[in-house]
Amino acid sequence: MAGTVIGEGLTIEGDISGDEEIVIHGNLRGRLTTTDAVTVGGTAVVGADITGASLSVAGQVTGDVTASERVDIQAGGKLVGDIKAARFTIADGASFKGNVDMEV
Amino acid sequence: MAEGSVIGAGTVVSGHVRGQGSLEISGRVEGDVSVTGNVVIGSAGRVRGNISGAELRVSGQVQGDLRGTVAVLLEAGARVAGDISAPRVGIAPGALARGHVQTDGEPAPAAARISPAAARPAAPPARPAAPAPAKLEPRPAPAPVKVEAKAPPVPAKFEAKGPLPPPPKLAPPKPELRKPEPPRVAPAPSQAEFTPVRPLKPEPRRPPPPVVPVLSKGTKAKKKKTQE
Repeated sequence: MAGTVIGEGLTIEGDISGDEEIVIHGNLRGRLTTTDAVTVGGTAVVGADITGASLSVAGQVTGDVTASERVDIQAGGKLVGDIKAARFTIADGASFKGNVDMEV
Repeated sequence: MAEGSVIGAGTVVSGHVRGQGSLEISGRVEGDVSVTGNVVIGSAGRVRGNISGAELRVSGQVQGDLRGTVAVLLEAGARVAGDISAPRVGIAPGALARGHVQTDGEPAPAAARISPAAARPAAPPARPAAPAPAKLEPRPAPAPVKVEAKAPPVPAKFEAKGPLPPPPKLAPPKPELRKPEPPRVAPAPSQAEFTPVRPLKPEPRRPPPPVVPVLSKGTKAKKKKTQE
């Protein structure tokens, strides 16, 4: 099981930092920093800058993303913000607006 | 789906956490927590902020108030610095708590859970109302008791000491000593004459003057000691 789970219906206003996987199904406003994977579920609404090893987005994210490994936007996912990651994929049906820096 | 939320042991949340569903905290939270479901704070969990929920089960550390609409249970190893209030409060052996603890209200079943905000304002007024009179009543009572108990023995001792020792050995020196007394005693009456100025402001101090002669006996004792 993921280290930290923000369930649907739960709202966090503030910063989250840690060294374990974080899964968000609820709402987050603030900042998210971890050294592990971040998963944004389909019901999640995130307004935060995200820093992590990897990011998978199925819900809505507004904020800049910095990932040491990869960023994946799933079908139905929505991301608005700049992305800095070595690998970056946008699934068919996903929406995205922002700059991409793949550290070429 | 009111899925349960988990704040893992390696996670720190700085900010407010609120919403629906249950919450398990094994990490750290710096901020208030307010949920409609149950809250479990694991043995590694640390929270600095107020927590409100249906049933709060604490095994970790909390620095803040705990408010449960159903219950607050402190397990062994829990350390809580803050007020606790809930219809049911349980503190297990091995748990540390510092703060005001109150079991108030009824286990408000559905209403409180649906709208925890409504339940909060109703409960707080109960805190100051109940404990305040309980503390005030016992405090004033013991005070007069002590005063009465101390007052009577004091004169009794002076009277007992005065008559007993003087007759045998100290009989002759008395007259000599009484001569010097007048000047000392004199100031006392003079004070009594002047006292009207002082007593006008603090009237309750008048009773002591009659005690002055008793004190003069004490002064005799001092003279005797000096003689000896």
